[in-house]
Amino acid sequence: MLLMSGVSKTYPSGAVALRNIDVHIKPGEFVFVVGPSGAGKSTFIKMLFREVIPTTGKIFVDGVDVLSLKPNEVPYLRRQLGIIFQDYRLLPDRTVAENVAFAMRVIEAPANQIDKRVAEVLELVGLRSRADNYPGELSGGEQQRVAIARAIVNDPLMVIADEPTGNLDPETSLEIMNIFSEINKNGTTIIMATHDKTMVDYMQKRVIAIEDGYIVRDEVKGVYGYDPEE
Amino acid sequence: MTLRSRKYFVKETFNSIKRNQLMSFASISTVALSLLVLGLFLLMVLNANNLAQYLENQVQVTVYMQDGIRDDTVQAAQKSLETMPGVVKVTKITKTEALGRFKERLGDQVRLLDALGEDNPFPLSFDVQVDQPGRIATLVPEIEKMQGVETAKFGREVVEHLFQLTKILRIGGLILVSLLAVATLFIIANTIRITVFARRREVSIMKYVGATNWFIRWPFLLEGMLMGFLGAVIASLFLIQIYLMLQNKIYTTLAFFPLIPSWPFLGYLTLFLIGIGTFIGAAGSSISLRKFLDV
Repeated sequence: MLLMSGVSKTYPSGAVALRNIDVHIKPGEFVFVVGPSGAGKSTFIKMLFREVIPTTGKIFVDGVDVLSLKPNEVPYLRRQLGIIFQDYRLLPDRTVAENVAFAMRVIEAPANQIDKRVAEVLELVGLRSRADNYPGELSGGEQQRVAIARAIVNDPLMVIADEPTGNLDPETSLEIMNIFSEINKNGTTIIMATHDKTMVDYMQKRVIAIEDGYIVRDEVKGVYGYDPEE
Repeated sequence: MTLRSRKYFVKETFNSIKRNQLMSFASISTVALSLLVLGLFLLMVLNANNLAQYLENQVQVTVYMQDGIRDDTVQAAQKSLETMPGVVKVTKITKTEALGRFKERLGDQVRLLDALGEDNPFPLSFDVQVDQPGRIATLVPEIEKMQGVETAKFGREVVEHLFQLTKILRIGGLILVSLLAVATLFIIANTIRITVFARRREVSIMKYVGATNWFIRWPFLLEGMLMGFLGAVIASLFLIQIYLMLQNKIYTTLAFFPLIPSWPFLGYLTLFLIGIGTFIGAAGSSISLRKFLDV
């Protein structure tokens, strides 16, 4: 599903984010990416949807050479990916249903399919009754569930989440994690960067630890491995 | 572009203009004002050209005779004028007639002539009509060589002055209009930039969920084009009003002045302005979008 080989990134400022990274993630895997702040997690995540382009190395997503894509082909790569951020990134002037439908409208899905599919994914994240509410009327956990619904509405091959529970309390984080688990059970690959020790230790999934731009750990049933303060 | 996307784009365009009423109003007014100035210059330049052409096509030469020549010289001159090739008609205007014409033109201020006493300073002259304007250039030097002829005047001098005037109008107009066009371009670009900035979150989300650049671009492009179009329509309505008013004024006071007939002239002008306005609108949006789409 994901293959990175010899990937390094040096920013124009001279800061080195990643050094010679090799990663192989198989379809259907659930992978946590952990590490101290500034270790290179964000850079790693952003490379997956080609927001950051590595200085050297190769990246393949589902067999597609991400770096050889022309700029006008990048949208089609992103349609295969569901991207979730810490700050939800919902449109405040649209309802929950419209926010989710937006992702389908953008890829020009037929209108009659949009309504049906939006209802389906809202059911999956447990927000069917909130379809006509605006994001401002929802709790943080609910907003993140809308973002998850939007990320999976187009049936992506891979869900990429950057600190999805960073703004949420432990109880809500657990709910969110369970939704990710459900999605993963349906065969969708999940890659998640996180600082959430409790969740990583609880989930017992593969853990890739990045420190100072190097992969220092890659365990099949891993733990967070840092003090929560770090 | 699919039909449902098209509907979506049109909806987005109007929503955006509604959300940014003040800036949209500013942009439309700027376009309207710039195009109005452009239009006024065009009206002037085109009419000056028209006038020059009209004068060039004049087929009349006025031949002034020297003062105090003998009657038989005058008659001989008239004879030879009449027999020249291409001459259609020769009308003699005596000194008395010339003075009479001048008095007529002075109207209320006829007393100015009292200063002249009994003297009549006007020379005897002939109005010579030729069959085509092309002949005048060869005829005039010949006429001027004739005995008793002081000078022969025709439209050329006026035309040459007029050409100079239209040249100044054209160059000045072109410079002014280019400046205005650039200013308009930047104002539209700025308006679009503000609307894109207000919607940058939406644009970035669109990019993350895999919208193509054209999908993102269309609503903004349509917005710019619509603003340019509306500005051009407003400018054209004003121009048409102004021209019709001027035409009325000129027909009642300077009946001889050859204005370009309003139709289809004003129609072409409107189409031209609408084309330019829409183009500037599209160009303005493209300029400001380039930066935002580069994610």
